[in-house]
Amino acid sequence: MSEHSPALREPWPDLARQREGVAFGVWAFLATEVLFFGGLFLGYAIYRNTFPEAFHIAAKETDVFYGTLNTAILLTSSLTMAVAAEAAEAGFRRMTLWCLSATAVFGIAFLVTKGFEYHDDLSKGLFPGPGFSLHPPATQLFWAFYWVATGVHAIHLTIGVSVVGTVATALYRRRLPLEASTFEGVALYWHFVDIVWIILLPLLYLVGRAS
Amino acid sequence: MNTRQASALHIWIVPGAVWLALLLLLALTVGSAYVPLGIFNSILNLTIAAIKVLLVLLFFMKLRSSSPLLRLAAMAGLFWLAFMFVLTAGDYLTRQ
Amino acid sequence: MTAITVVDLPPRAPANYLEEGHTLWSWLATTDHKRIGILYALSITVFFFIAGTAIGLVRLELVEPNGLFLSDDQYNRLFTLHGIVMVWFFLVPSIPTTLGNFLLPMMIGAHDVAFPRLNLMSWYLFTIGGIFTIATIWAGGVDTGWTFYTPFSTLFSNGHVILAALGVFVVGFSSIATGINFITTVHLLRCPGMTWFRLPLMVWAIYATSIVMVLATPVLAMSLLLVMAERFLGVPIFNPANGGDPLLFQHLFWFYSHPAVYIMILPAMGVISEVITCFARRRVFGYVGMVFSLLAIAVIGFMVWGHHMFVAGQSPYASLVFSFLSFIVAVPSAIKTFNWTATLYRGQISFESPMLYALGFIGLFTVGGLTGLYLASVPIDIQATDTYFVVAHFHFIMVGGSVTAYFAGLHFWWPKITGKLYSERWARVAAIATFFGFMMTFMPQYIMGWLGMPRRYHVYPEVFQIWHLMSTGGAGILGIAYVLPLIYLPLSLLRGQRAPANPWNATGLEWQTPSPPPKGNFDKIPIVVRGPYHYHPEAETAADHNRQPDIQKAEA
Repeated sequence: MSEHSPALREPWPDLARQREGVAFGVWAFLATEVLFFGGLFLGYAIYRNTFPEAFHIAAKETDVFYGTLNTAILLTSSLTMAVAAEAAEAGFRRMTLWCLSATAVFGIAFLVTKGFEYHDDLSKGLFPGPGFSLHPPATQLFWAFYWVATGVHAIHLTIGVSVVGTVATALYRRRLPLEASTFEGVALYWHFVDIVWIILLPLLYLVGRAS
Repeated sequence: MNTRQASALHIWIVPGAVWLALLLLLALTVGSAYVPLGIFNSILNLTIAAIKVLLVLLFFMKLRSSSPLLRLAAMAGLFWLAFMFVLTAGDYLTRQ
Repeated sequence: MTAITVVDLPPRAPANYLEEGHTLWSWLATTDHKRIGILYALSITVFFFIAGTAIGLVRLELVEPNGLFLSDDQYNRLFTLHGIVMVWFFLVPSIPTTLGNFLLPMMIGAHDVAFPRLNLMSWYLFTIGGIFTIATIWAGGVDTGWTFYTPFSTLFSNGHVILAALGVFVVGFSSIATGINFITTVHLLRCPGMTWFRLPLMVWAIYATSIVMVLATPVLAMSLLLVMAERFLGVPIFNPANGGDPLLFQHLFWFYSHPAVYIMILPAMGVISEVITCFARRRVFGYVGMVFSLLAIAVIGFMVWGHHMFVAGQSPYASLVFSFLSFIVAVPSAIKTFNWTATLYRGQISFESPMLYALGFIGLFTVGGLTGLYLASVPIDIQATDTYFVVAHFHFIMVGGSVTAYFAGLHFWWPKITGKLYSERWARVAAIATFFGFMMTFMPQYIMGWLGMPRRYHVYPEVFQIWHLMSTGGAGILGIAYVLPLIYLPLSLLRGQRAPANPWNATGLEWQTPSPPPKGNFDKIPIVVRGPYHYHPEAETAADHNRQPDIQKAEA
């Protein structure tokens, strides 16, 4: 009976309702996130529309190799995350644990790759301000968005990695029951962070490559 | 035990297929970026991104099988984002 | 006799939520929505008086055309402090986090909010944001005005912009957490029989507010993040030297900050609906219309922000659209005002203190709302932009509206929250003093604004002195009216009479539990069988008496 499940928390009457509540709550939070990143994308869209040439010049300097690699890593992490949530629902404890751990590892791999990329960007003088290597001045706008967008995304991913790590540890130590509503909520957040990167890829890495 | 293992493998099928599709789309979008198509480069890239987002939403985030309430919550953010984009663009595109 | 009766009373009263623990830790680690409501109430009271003191000094300074005791810089920092603290640390959280937290689960027949630990976390986020703000004061303040306009905030201000913006940024997450919690609670934890159109208007109001909180606050977070990034990291985002556009900041900022006005006024409308119906002994006029106007305000409120930018360099075509939409959003507000008035019609009105506050609200809100229409009209706004006319307008909404409603709600539910009755005589004095003090403070501001007195100016020509004197005098009365409850409300805890479960003979589930309520609110989950506000005496026909009572007790 789900009524007496250890996964059931106050004030929910039953586990099914609690699951829906958690999923709904996380979706509501993701709606928040959509508008959070939306503000950033709005700025990008306005400035790109105002300075199309400068954005083409600036975007060509991003590193497509790292960008593509990181997209592949993140898409794969979403696969393991999706499987982890399904496995938890189906009651496969070991599989859930492995997939969660893989997800966290992929997340860290993304951050490490991003670190190398940041290092290259900095050595090429691509941080806006004095000593910035590109012209005209509006190229700095593109790179301002690059740093803020990827930085905010990286912070989201860092939070994701630590949450997935915490949940995996709690599952491993049997402090979190497999039927808990937590896994689905964490998975939703993870996939959202993936979605943000899917959108960032064409905005930051693929502009002006053909010209 | 055998059926258990079989169903454990079964879990991978749909997400795995979606993952493959996502990687193919990734290859397509990066490859196409180097083909000079003018304005259509951006349109193609953004369309592919939208398809990828839709795949993640429907399959990984299970909107395909969610209750209407969850779909509503998922759409709310986009709906409000449209307010923001349309009205702000309304300012920038009509300035003199 | 109330229309709602409780079948089979509990055998003995369980311990109320105040007696569940007496240690400080039992409060700081609580997940009970009622205790969290109290924690919020205490915090926002502190912030209310900090911000009130700041503006008290500003008003005193304005008695003389050339100032009395402040430097220009101190003056700028004081009105900025007043704005930031009042908006984000009092008005936005005021009704939702205190009365909303306390009452929302009870009004829908739930044991608690959907995510009790998230609820506690949101209070801690609020406190952390508050600490940043206090630290800003300590460090010397910030001088950008509450709006953080670029490029001043990013390139030129020598105040502590980052610290202040960080405080607002953090408190934004507290808002979002509260909003998500309330939305989920209303969707998924309504008790059996509590259909959407049986929800009290207070619940609808908090629900509509939560939608605005969840969808607007993140945009504020992003705009402040960009300001902090530009100031701290030096990346040019709004810097015109690189082609950046300061107006982009205004778009992002007002995409939050105009809906934020509705975050402040929607819960107030909910409170007023509850109070008016109770003391008019009448079912609210046009319930469905009230619900849809709440939702319409919440949605259309997102499409009007450009009316803050008529003179900022925005495209005139955009101004036209924003002006039109601003007129549209006044329609649902007008529907609400007419419906409250219609609710009073043929009611058996009594003038207890909550009702006095509520009636004051209707008058002040109407004046504030109608002058809003002046400002929504482009030609008049160009004349009145950045004058005291604007200041008076939004204070009529935020102070005359929200703060008055907060006090109405506080007085209305005080017996439920604390289990004690306050001094009704002093409460009436405070309610009346609030109204007149307020009018005297802000009516002169309309006049001098119309005559051309700009806002935020430290010195001014002598012709305006008479209006400033009146305004400062009124502010003194208003200050006393706000300090009075701070005396007689706490006194009621020590010396007040015990409050019965339903002192106002009100309908609504929150009145069906003891005062103060037990930890889980209801010993058994109630079942609702009819809509709210069953106040009509003439409707109490024999047929009604034979019908089932409003709520029954079901096995939980």
